[in-house]
Amino acid sequence: MDKLPLASLQQKMINYLVDDNPTVTNTIMEQIKDHGNITRDVRLHIYKNAYQARLKETIENDHEMLGFFLGDDLFDQMVLGYINTYPSDNTSLRHFADKLPLFLANYAPFKDHPIISELAHFERLLMVAFDAADATLFTRDILANTPPEQWPELVFRFHPSVQLAHFKYNSVETWHALKQEQSPEPAKEQHSDWLLWRNNDRLTQFRSLPAQEYDLINMILNGASFADLCDFLLQEVNEEQASPLVLDYLLKWLDDGILIKQKFIQQ
Amino acid sequence: MVHNLIKNQASAREYSLSSAVEGIAPPDDFLGFGLGLRTDHFQDVLSTKPDIDWFEVVSENFMVDGGKPKHYLHEIRELYPMVMHGVSLSIGSTDPLNMQYLRKLKVLVNELQPEWISDHLCWTGVNQTNSHDLLPLPYNEEALNHVCDRVDQVQNFLGRPILLENLSSYITYKESDMSEWEFFNKVARQSGCNILLDINNIYVSARNHEFKPQDYLEGIDKDKVKQFHLAGHTDYGNYVIDTHDHPVADPVWALYKQALKRFGWVSTMIERDDNIPPLAELLAEVETARNIAYDTLGQLETLKQREIVT
Repeated sequence: MDKLPLASLQQKMINYLVDDNPTVTNTIMEQIKDHGNITRDVRLHIYKNAYQARLKETIENDHEMLGFFLGDDLFDQMVLGYINTYPSDNTSLRHFADKLPLFLANYAPFKDHPIISELAHFERLLMVAFDAADATLFTRDILANTPPEQWPELVFRFHPSVQLAHFKYNSVETWHALKQEQSPEPAKEQHSDWLLWRNNDRLTQFRSLPAQEYDLINMILNGASFADLCDFLLQEVNEEQASPLVLDYLLKWLDDGILIKQKFIQQ
Repeated sequence: MVHNLIKNQASAREYSLSSAVEGIAPPDDFLGFGLGLRTDHFQDVLSTKPDIDWFEVVSENFMVDGGKPKHYLHEIRELYPMVMHGVSLSIGSTDPLNMQYLRKLKVLVNELQPEWISDHLCWTGVNQTNSHDLLPLPYNEEALNHVCDRVDQVQNFLGRPILLENLSSYITYKESDMSEWEFFNKVARQSGCNILLDINNIYVSARNHEFKPQDYLEGIDKDKVKQFHLAGHTDYGNYVIDTHDHPVADPVWALYKQALKRFGWVSTMIERDDNIPPLAELLAEVETARNIAYDTLGQLETLKQREIVT
């Protein structure tokens, strides 16, 4: 018998892992030697079990609060559905469940409860903040050593861990309640903006953003200078209030550790 | 931006055979007795600085941009020599080599300056689908040439030889026309790579495929083996599954002793991947490995302690 080329054999094995169709199983079964006390079926099934268990464990680890929210049965249904819909195309398990929020937003019964997809999205953003690149922070000291004439031209840059998120439901509050081992309030529509980042102790942190701060942060993301931020606030409050207000924001961002040091600032 | 991450790094201890015993001295690249470093133990390692020769880290866990685990990793690297162990190289896959993965691996190599880098004699996926499992190859001429060609590419890219490790396996393809050890040994000879022998995996595969583990040991060239893994498994009676979530089992300790007799001094470590116990429990297993090696090959004494290299 001619040997099956390596590429074909590998394709049959992968097909078997991702597809429960008996025809697909038979196709790989034909390539397995029958020997010893263990049937070919049992031998192959060890791989299928390991494949599914590993992917399930990954989702469990990444989405602990979502797991509490859904309960075991719905969680298992989600895992099976996700594994079948999005077989892993990434080398790293770290990114296997990246499309989980998308899956939950588009497939029944999950799509009928949009808070479920939002919870998954929030947990993935926490992961991004957790292992984003390191960067040297812009601190109060650096600011104090920056000549005042340079301040208007300062253009701030955020730490790579910083994430902005908008939620239409009380998703973050629900996540937080579950984390505190408390019963969350019923899901309700509640638009809010959130800032997530990794703080000075390298722990992930998040807080809600009032509309004004959200606007300022978006301006910074679009390249606005410190002078632009001041001009914006002058439209919102009077001149005496604007200076302390913009300084308050800036110091808060520095203390949160969300701005990074930039090369153009002379030390 | 790798350079700013490299701080002080520990060099390896040097061992020599105790003058009181007769035997063969360990080779220059012998690292002693180590442990697979797990995130659960980061704090303990840094606060207690256990007396252990080296750590192995799973490369993929640290192929991230930054954050806390990586920060701790660098702190621990300042204190101990390390080797890097990967699970995603997929050296036997018929997909093209994943250059993005290799580039990230090389960045981590530059940061950690490991004593060596290893992965598995397996494939993990094909045609853009990843099993995240270590899948066996058919042991035949086509697979041999394919693997050797890819090992050559990887070694050229990394600028150093790699180590490949044997799997636990549960199936044999009809396409195989040689034993796993014959195939493995040919890969090492033809490609110039070295061998990481997982003693537990030999035991598990021997039970599942009904071969003699001693045949495996004798089929591997002595000078190719640079590292041993010791781990636990789950015994289902009819078959054995490599779970790496239990203490090393007695038959595996016995096989380790046989491996020492065949290969002499080989850097040895305990590899626990799941059901992670307290650090002290794993350190005790490392000491068991050391004692078995000393009983089998003779007592060692430390010629030179670890040093911090700046």
